[in-house]
Amino acid sequence: MANGNGHITPVEVDLTDQGITEHLSHKVFAFDRRLAYAMAGLGVLFILGIIGFVMRAVGDGFSDASRHEWGYYAAMFAFLLCTAGTAPLVAVAFRWTKNHWRRPLSRASEMFALVGILNLLWFIPLMALLPAIDLNGDGHLEVGVDRRTVWFEGPIGAPLWWDMAAMIGLVVCGLAILWVSARPDMSVVAARGSGWRAALMRKLAMGWQGTKRDWRRQQAFLAMLGGFYFMLLILVHTLVSLDFALSLVPGWKDSILAPHHALTGIQAAAGTVLVTIFVMRTWGGYGRYIGLDPFWAFSKVLLGLTLLWGYFWFSEFMTFWYGRDPTEQSVIKLVMFESYRTAFLLNFFFSFVIPFGLLLWNGVRKSVLGPTIAGASVIIGAFFMMVRLYVPAFNIRDVGAHSIADFEAGVGQAIPSQLLPVTPDVWDVFIILGGLSGTALIFLLGTRLLPVMSMWETKEGLLYMLVRPLLKGRYMVLGKPD
Amino acid sequence: MAQRMKHKWGMVVDIDKCTGCQACVVACQSENNIPLNTEDSFHQRRAMEWIRVERYWEVPDEYRDRPEEAPFQDVKARFMPVLCQHCENAPCEPVCPVFATYHNDEGMNVQVYNRCVGTRYCANNCPYQVRFFNFWEPVWPERLRNQLNPDVTVRSRGVMEKCTFCVQRVRRAETKIEGQEDGQITDKSLAEGNFMPACVQACPTNTLIFGDLEDPDSQVSRLKDDPRHYKLLENIGTEPNVIYLKKIDPRRKEDEAHG
Amino acid sequence: MQEGRSLTDREINRGLLNSLYQNPKWYWGSVTLLGVIVLGAMAAAGYMINQGLGVTGLNRPVMWGFFITNFVFWIGISHAGVMLSAILRLSKAEWRRPATRAAEVLTVFSLMTAMLMPFIHAGRPWRLFYWVFPYDWARGVFPNVRSALIWDPSAVFTYLTSSILFVYIALLPDLAVIRDRSTGVRRTIYSVLCLGWKGNSRQWKLQIIAGILLSALILPVFVSVHSIVSFDFSMAIAVKSWHSTIFPPYFVIGAVHSGVAAVVIVMALMRWLFHWHDYVRPEHFDALGRLLIVVATGWFFFFVMEFLFGLYGLEGDEISVKDFLTAQAPWSWWFITFVGTTYFIPVGMWLFKSVRRNPWLMVVACVSVNIGMWLERFLIIVPGLAQKQLFNFAWYTYAPSPVEVVIIIGTFALVSMLMLLFAKVFPLIPIYDIKEGEILKQEIKIGRRTVPAVIRED
Repeated sequence: MANGNGHITPVEVDLTDQGITEHLSHKVFAFDRRLAYAMAGLGVLFILGIIGFVMRAVGDGFSDASRHEWGYYAAMFAFLLCTAGTAPLVAVAFRWTKNHWRRPLSRASEMFALVGILNLLWFIPLMALLPAIDLNGDGHLEVGVDRRTVWFEGPIGAPLWWDMAAMIGLVVCGLAILWVSARPDMSVVAARGSGWRAALMRKLAMGWQGTKRDWRRQQAFLAMLGGFYFMLLILVHTLVSLDFALSLVPGWKDSILAPHHALTGIQAAAGTVLVTIFVMRTWGGYGRYIGLDPFWAFSKVLLGLTLLWGYFWFSEFMTFWYGRDPTEQSVIKLVMFESYRTAFLLNFFFSFVIPFGLLLWNGVRKSVLGPTIAGASVIIGAFFMMVRLYVPAFNIRDVGAHSIADFEAGVGQAIPSQLLPVTPDVWDVFIILGGLSGTALIFLLGTRLLPVMSMWETKEGLLYMLVRPLLKGRYMVLGKPD
Repeated sequence: MAQRMKHKWGMVVDIDKCTGCQACVVACQSENNIPLNTEDSFHQRRAMEWIRVERYWEVPDEYRDRPEEAPFQDVKARFMPVLCQHCENAPCEPVCPVFATYHNDEGMNVQVYNRCVGTRYCANNCPYQVRFFNFWEPVWPERLRNQLNPDVTVRSRGVMEKCTFCVQRVRRAETKIEGQEDGQITDKSLAEGNFMPACVQACPTNTLIFGDLEDPDSQVSRLKDDPRHYKLLENIGTEPNVIYLKKIDPRRKEDEAHG
Repeated sequence: MQEGRSLTDREINRGLLNSLYQNPKWYWGSVTLLGVIVLGAMAAAGYMINQGLGVTGLNRPVMWGFFITNFVFWIGISHAGVMLSAILRLSKAEWRRPATRAAEVLTVFSLMTAMLMPFIHAGRPWRLFYWVFPYDWARGVFPNVRSALIWDPSAVFTYLTSSILFVYIALLPDLAVIRDRSTGVRRTIYSVLCLGWKGNSRQWKLQIIAGILLSALILPVFVSVHSIVSFDFSMAIAVKSWHSTIFPPYFVIGAVHSGVAAVVIVMALMRWLFHWHDYVRPEHFDALGRLLIVVATGWFFFFVMEFLFGLYGLEGDEISVKDFLTAQAPWSWWFITFVGTTYFIPVGMWLFKSVRRNPWLMVVACVSVNIGMWLERFLIIVPGLAQKQLFNFAWYTYAPSPVEVVIIIGTFALVSMLMLLFAKVFPLIPIYDIKEGEILKQEIKIGRRTVPAVIRED
């Protein structure tokens, strides 16, 4: 109801087609001092990250013997996959469901597809660290000698090259979504600006004319690519979690891990997008476009995802705990209750307790700050989840053993070193910082090329969202185009 | 009355001694009022054998992957008496909705027939498949009426039943021996007083050995750490109180010492 | 343009109440036929209780068979009600309106039917009060709360209570409409049932709040019910192929899959039987079809994970179960049928818009889903038990006896009969909800095009 709460119109009424075009294309080319400082700072951190990586590579090398040093690197890879890698899904999903409130956030989430390039580069060193499936090289798998994997004995190049292919597919598909969705805006930017950026945009727009045929094809491609992206994303989450965490821990047989990993990714992606639009709204000068509506609507989705996170975790925990199988007991001791207890508790609090406790309340959901805090919290939670999954997995050296329960010493004795928690050293910290800053830097560079607010979707929204009188009040009317 | 002892009943099954004579099965059948297993009930897979002798074929190690190619003189018939393992960590116990099965403080997994409603969840969750369900009302021929043991309940249809370690005999032992001045249950007193479970008593080769695992002098306590010892399906963490001693095979190197 | 014509309140009242006031020839005939089948099933169950479970096909490794399969199946069907009503109500999907009541009622009846299964499958059903009631305070004997079989009735009865409330709250305005149109005893009964509904703004406000609160509160119950049903299996460590961490979400999404498919069948049937072409329109089937593609694909991912992890451990016991399932006739045939009918046939059909908009083709696809989902439960439960552990002395198989088959058929007849009887006394489509939808319908003109629109509900 239009009762002065200000939330009914996601786009303020004074916005016009002309105004949107001018403002957004101006934002791309205008020089912003604060932004420049931010990018410089991020650049320094990113270089630190590269130093950390180089020191790690030079100091420890890539081999089975040094795998345990790379745990945090692997966790950071998975974290980037969960946040930036999964973020374009937000645009895809809500474009499918035709929610109008998605309009201000769809470009921001697609823009994270650019970070996919960093993610892909990050993956290459990991390939050198994954042990072979057939450890003794006799051509067939045997429990207790060879490693268990979801690839069993086939196909050639598994798992490395298949994982790589899936990763490349994901990144390419994400970039394709960004490109297809941004073509109309590229042509606008090209027409409004000058210099190499405008020239590049003109080239990338590839003759976008805005004809009916152009738009139809864009819609069709977006729907199709969205479907591909969703499937590839689930596939990549599945492969990464199974190949780089689960299959390195002997006897860890956890069928919900892949869905749980993907869900954590989707949850963290939602958090990423929420935090991004909060930054854009508060400091980026996009307050006119981003009303309360996206936060309010998105917070319900985040609440749902948070509840699902708790549920998936409970399914895993309950089955392992109740079964009292020695191997499963060792696994939950390793990744939850003993070795990585701190990471697990942080993970649980940030991924479940805090967002759930906040988003439970109507008042919090219907605010800007509340969903943002919850979003930031799930990002942190996802980081600790990746730490507790990948760092212990990389620390295990006898990957071919029958069960990690066999590693455990007798009662009262010290935990064997393979099951001990690994704390990050200085290079790990550098690598983590580098990953975070690299993501932000690439995103900001992207905003220097493309409007971070989708022009065509915002304008389309003006057509479909109207305020009309009915009976005694004024109501929001939402168009439902097919 | 003397302070009651803390017992933990257990059994050792020495596979090396088992000849597969089935005396234990018959003894158990008559001691515990188990309904007659007809040909029909075997065909329906509903036969009740609280203790059963499983037979399997053993081939030399080198033929493990292709047992059918092993030379016949090297294929050995093996016998393994299987009864309720009275697990310390029994999977059947937590799943019973009505507490019809629980672990008592003497290491036995016991079944309360009165409470059982027959959900059969315990049977599903028993990895050893030693829980039996009364699909039919048990009937005995008229001439066997007087054979029924008055110390043991006759179970009705719809309830689960399983090996009790002949709890009626153990209880009798406890009241008779521990009720006396300085009475103490030992292997000797159990054997002399006829308090052993029926299967143990009937076993002609002493394959089955019953006793108190808490009593350091008992035979089971001495045998439980025998180098040949193992437990059935040890890897799933059920911690059985029945300990098996493996067959000595003179052809195998590590067994030469027992020769 | 809007699909379907605009309806006046008068037309809606008349149209939706015709299931109450008209007496077509087929109606009592079908109720009688279904009643006879139900009586047959009751006779079979009575015979079974009298003789003992020996009359079934159960045996020593396979202690659970058709009854538990059918229990899980009907619990699964019951998930449709909440899936459609609560989620779609909270997400304000406009196309939920004609589907909610039928879905909720289906929930209630299938839950009741489902609960019959564990009762008759127990060895001593006359002793069942030991099971769920803390009957013996004197000796402090309490049902064993560690058992998944205690969680089951707790969850299911909570779900049943809340879904009955849910149906009832949504029925109130419609009951008042019927009250105003009846006389005599009927009027008295409906007057009592509608709790003095006058339709004033306070009552509407309370009804809406209650509806939304129940929607939100029932969702965790809905998830918990099927998760707990799956715990019956996944908690069992002795049956290796059951002991899988994915079971709770796998069961829930499978339940939603079969449940929504069942709602499609009910909607097509009521559209045909009661001539509700103006209310249940192709667009509704279209929307349900799209939803089903997503649900089915999600289910398929979980299925693949579950299957993959059966083999992942490279342990003989689980591989033997999968071998039993996929390579030994007749189980392999059942397995192929299950995968085809649950996923590939229906999803292949739903990909085409013309199929999604055709009610009868949708029924074909949804019947196929439900055949597949019944088989899914059967193929989870029985092969896992038949080849339970590597300790393989007691491996066997299972074939149902005629008594079991008759009882299973009887449950289908029972739910259909109850639905028909319900339609005789209450409208199966919420009258007030349809009227509300008519009010909220709007149109937006963009150039020469008219786009359907709705007023946003806050």
